[in-house]
Amino acid sequence: MIHLAEEFAAPASDLETSESNAEETAAGQPRVLVVDDERLLADTTAAILRRAGFHAKTAYDGFGALDMTGSFHPDYLVTDIMMPGMNGVELAIAISTMFPATKILLISGQAGIADILEDSRVRGYEFPLLAKPVHPSKLIDRIRDLKNG
Amino acid sequence: MRSSLRNSRSIPSVRSRPNLKKPDTAKVFGKPTVLTETAKNFLAAIIASSDDAIISKDLNGIITSWNEGARRIFGYEADEIVGQSILRLIPTELQHEEDFILGKIRSGQRIEHFESTRVRKNGERFPISVSISPIRDDSGKIIGASKIARDISDRRRADESRFRLAAIVDSADDAIISKDLNGIIRTWNNGARRLFGYEADEIIGQSILRLIPENLRHEEAEILRRLKAGEKIEHYETTRVSKSGELREVSITISPICNNNGEVIGGSKIARDVSDRKKVERMAIEAEKIATTGRMAAAIAHEINNPLASVLNLIYLARQDGISREDVQSYLATAEGELERVSHIARQTLGYYRDTGKPSEVHLHDLIENVLSVYRSKLLAHNITVEATFNDLRKISVRSGEIVQVFSNIVSNAIDAMAQGGRLSISTTRIMKGEQDGLRVVVSDTGHGIRRENIDRIFEPFFTTKGNLGTGIGLWVAKQIVERHGGQISVSSSTEATDSGTVVTLYLPFHRAQSGVANGDGHESRRAAS
Repeated sequence: MIHLAEEFAAPASDLETSESNAEETAAGQPRVLVVDDERLLADTTAAILRRAGFHAKTAYDGFGALDMTGSFHPDYLVTDIMMPGMNGVELAIAISTMFPATKILLISGQAGIADILEDSRVRGYEFPLLAKPVHPSKLIDRIRDLKNG
Repeated sequence: MRSSLRNSRSIPSVRSRPNLKKPDTAKVFGKPTVLTETAKNFLAAIIASSDDAIISKDLNGIITSWNEGARRIFGYEADEIVGQSILRLIPTELQHEEDFILGKIRSGQRIEHFESTRVRKNGERFPISVSISPIRDDSGKIIGASKIARDISDRRRADESRFRLAAIVDSADDAIISKDLNGIIRTWNNGARRLFGYEADEIIGQSILRLIPENLRHEEAEILRRLKAGEKIEHYETTRVSKSGELREVSITISPICNNNGEVIGGSKIARDVSDRKKVERMAIEAEKIATTGRMAAAIAHEINNPLASVLNLIYLARQDGISREDVQSYLATAEGELERVSHIARQTLGYYRDTGKPSEVHLHDLIENVLSVYRSKLLAHNITVEATFNDLRKISVRSGEIVQVFSNIVSNAIDAMAQGGRLSISTTRIMKGEQDGLRVVVSDTGHGIRRENIDRIFEPFFTTKGNLGTGIGLWVAKQIVERHGGQISVSSSTEATDSGTVVTLYLPFHRAQSGVANGDGHESRRAAS
């Protein structure tokens, strides 16, 4: 099914263009970094957020996301937890250290992450968590809540 | 009197020199005897060779004769004790006994097997059994007493140790039963009464078969056969039945009982009620099933929730204003593909929980691949690469749900051991093991390994190296399941910094061999995993 993600990327030129255009028009738009090793999910989530008025970019693992922050300082980080290499919580801790103003939202598809969260709590970090699947409008609402909160 | 005393002294010498001519004095208690020389020699020989002390005394309690046995038991030579009072042999506080004895003798009564305490020359006291008979002269008048005394120290000691053993046997919590080679119950302790409900007097003399459920009676023939061969049967777990008909799960140890010649004459049987332990084991197996199911459910949830999240996103996008028809088509086609992925995962993983408990013919590699697909994202998340080499073309007869549980536990252990990433290798090969044709599965990881002091214990229930995170029953349950399938499981491991890792090797026969005691090795296969 992975190839579908690429197939999807081509016809969804609508989204691609909006992202490339965003480079010029993004001024004033809130920046969101969407991270998920499930590429289709990262891509569609980013597309939805763009339609909702965000300047959204995607990364497919923790290190890729960290690399991206060199040129893209996100106002929001929306990340999956269970990912190869650096997990979502480690990424969240790293980004909140570098950019304390960045609002973070964790999304997880399974219950077996209690240990990871406990580990971050011990280190003094607590992040809001949403369980997959999240309805897109709910995701948008939660991100807007973060801004107000 | 004196001369007759001297005569009695000559008796011991008969023993050492039987051909010696007897002295011509033939008087007893100063009276001429009516016995012939031959008869006297005959009696003298018996007295001299007796192990018991044979002593005679007159009615005043003065010792008049003293044999070799008396010398051995009491330690006095004949010439130092003959003519002395019998009271020298009796402890001071028991000297009243002599008045009683003499009273009886004077009235012509015998005293038989009178047990008391006497003193040796060296002052040592010892238990004794005495029989005393009056001695009469030709006219029938009582003129003294003959006393046959036996040192019963050994018997006392034997009695004491027997009583002590009996007390131990009776106070044991275990049922301790002995039976003869015909399977007839000979002894029955309190533990047996508690476990089986029969009183000793209603079951002793009955067949041991009364304790064996009908469907297991063939076991007894096998047990008797092994007993007769002098073999011991240890910790054999089986079921027995109580008087009320209740089944009892017991662990029994049966040892042959031999007579002095070393011939087996019966068996002693120690039975321990393991119903409670079995109950705990069953609960632990249940709990582990739930834990495994939980672990797999969490992994499955992840696999299912991702495509579902994508589907939600795609539908949401398709609904937006101003989207081209082509884009909508594309979103929906992608969503459809994601739903197919969900149903594939559901078929692959959740299907096993329909397991009816009956073995079915499957390809082992299918089961292993499904376990791997359940843990796919976890393996990915931990940077673990998987190398699988499957060489099992022939289907195997197993209970799929159980075998999935076994591999799930092994793979999940491997993942835990490789928190910093690594390589998980799995291979299946067809091998012959004895008469049995089966499959060998080797699962190896490059994790931190198991320390030497722990490796022997990893199949023990509730043993874990994972602290609070482990239940300590995963591998124990895996072993139970593999053994129930007639297979074997073993683990080797290295904690060497450069080459650490663990290898789990499983063997599963294509078909479970016929089980039971009847085929001879049933005892082995029914034995609990230690």
